[in-house]
Amino acid sequence: MGRVIRQILTASAVIAGLFFTWELGVTLTGIPEYILPAPSAFLERFWETLPLQIEHLRITATTTLAGLALALVVGVFLALAVVYVKALKVLVLPALAAFNGIPKVAIAPLFVIWFGLGDEPKVLLAFLMGLFPVFVNAVSGLGDVEPDVLDLAKLAGGNEWRIFHKVRLMNALPHLTDAVKVAFPLALVGSVVAEFIGGNRGVGYLILSGQASLDTSLVFACLFAITLFTSAGIGAVVIVEEFALKWRASRRR
Amino acid sequence: MTDTRVPMALTVERLTKVFPTGTAIDQLSFEAPEHKFVTLVGPSGCGKSTAMRIITGLLPPTSGVIRIGGRMVDGPIADAALVFQSPVLLPWRRTVDNILFTAEMRGSDPAQYQERALNLVRLAGLNGFERSYPHELSGGMQQRVAICRALLLDPALLLMDEPFGALDILTRERMGFELQRIWMTTRNTVLFVTHSITEAVLLSDYIVVMTGRPGRKKATINVDLPRPRSTKTLEDPRFLDLAGRVRDHLEAQWVE
Repeated sequence: MGRVIRQILTASAVIAGLFFTWELGVTLTGIPEYILPAPSAFLERFWETLPLQIEHLRITATTTLAGLALALVVGVFLALAVVYVKALKVLVLPALAAFNGIPKVAIAPLFVIWFGLGDEPKVLLAFLMGLFPVFVNAVSGLGDVEPDVLDLAKLAGGNEWRIFHKVRLMNALPHLTDAVKVAFPLALVGSVVAEFIGGNRGVGYLILSGQASLDTSLVFACLFAITLFTSAGIGAVVIVEEFALKWRASRRR
Repeated sequence: MTDTRVPMALTVERLTKVFPTGTAIDQLSFEAPEHKFVTLVGPSGCGKSTAMRIITGLLPPTSGVIRIGGRMVDGPIADAALVFQSPVLLPWRRTVDNILFTAEMRGSDPAQYQERALNLVRLAGLNGFERSYPHELSGGMQQRVAICRALLLDPALLLMDEPFGALDILTRERMGFELQRIWMTTRNTVLFVTHSITEAVLLSDYIVVMTGRPGRKKATINVDLPRPRSTKTLEDPRFLDLAGRVRDHLEAQWVE
């Protein structure tokens, strides 16, 4: 835990240093606020628009987390299918790899055509963005179990179910927390882009309205809000790892 | 080894294993009497590890018959336990939970075995490390946990596949004596695989010397040195004589 706090402090110090340099640079060069607002300007704007930020972030957070949850469920399910049914591996892997080759953001307009301007296209895009990293990590987590461990388990009389929840699932946990750390910001990209394309709420929408009125400070304030959200999300995963995956501590050092 | 009055824990009859790449084991026959320590010695690639997997039922033989406790082996048998060259502990389990793993896999209530697990921990000299994760233990200690895990269900046959092969030479020697001490308490029938002649003679009641590729039985040597054997035994002329005989059998193959 102490290590986590130290990391947070270090990160905060780096960000503070960055903001300070930025502030100084903007003041010295006299760049107008509508081009590049100084941190003090967008932080002030953030504070002014706080209720608005919270309202829209809540909407974006909901679709992001819904998409992420869906990606976790479907990704793990697909991984299970691939790990347990050898024949599926040949089918699912190339299909998913090919699908991953399509820039998902490019198909977002289709989702708006199909599902309208509600939450569905946002959740769907967030889900698609998060699916691949979850799937790939789940396959290695569930599948890459030492053959000797499996022999040992079989020899002791372990059936597939016991091997699954006492060996494979435990083996997959760190892979899944890693997956969430990657998939979470990606799902957020999905939600925000879907909000850009259609809809009248969410952080993506707020950013677009800031752009329309050349309120650059508002755009930056929104980016700040999103970054806080992502950091909190990843921070939560790290804390879960710190407590639930204590045994992995040595590997990360 | 042909003493018919002693019940056999393991009989291997004309075991043959052919892989697409060639014959790994050719007509291997030997027995392990109950409560005895039997070692397979042979050069690398003589099919010792393959033989181990076949004996436990994890791998089907091409031909031949394996019996454990009189029962024919035709699939993974719960009455045998394995110790590998690497400890293969589960990194998320503490010492005691790693030992209890086999009980959980069998579907037994691990609480029932808790006391036995703790007794094994003490027997293996792991006191104080009951709640340690594998990464907090040394290689030798990890391997002791693996031995405890294998002994938890009191197997009719304990198979050890070069269990000390990955340890440094000093730890390896100490682990040999440790194993002897543990074994003299539990007296499970052991089938041990090694290519260390010293280890084989020091630990075994019987040594089966194998030839390399394909694996065949070359000789069976009865080791009747008194137990417990110690570092002193290493200087005993009878020990040197036995080690010499094993070596002769192994080296005779090089000439052939």
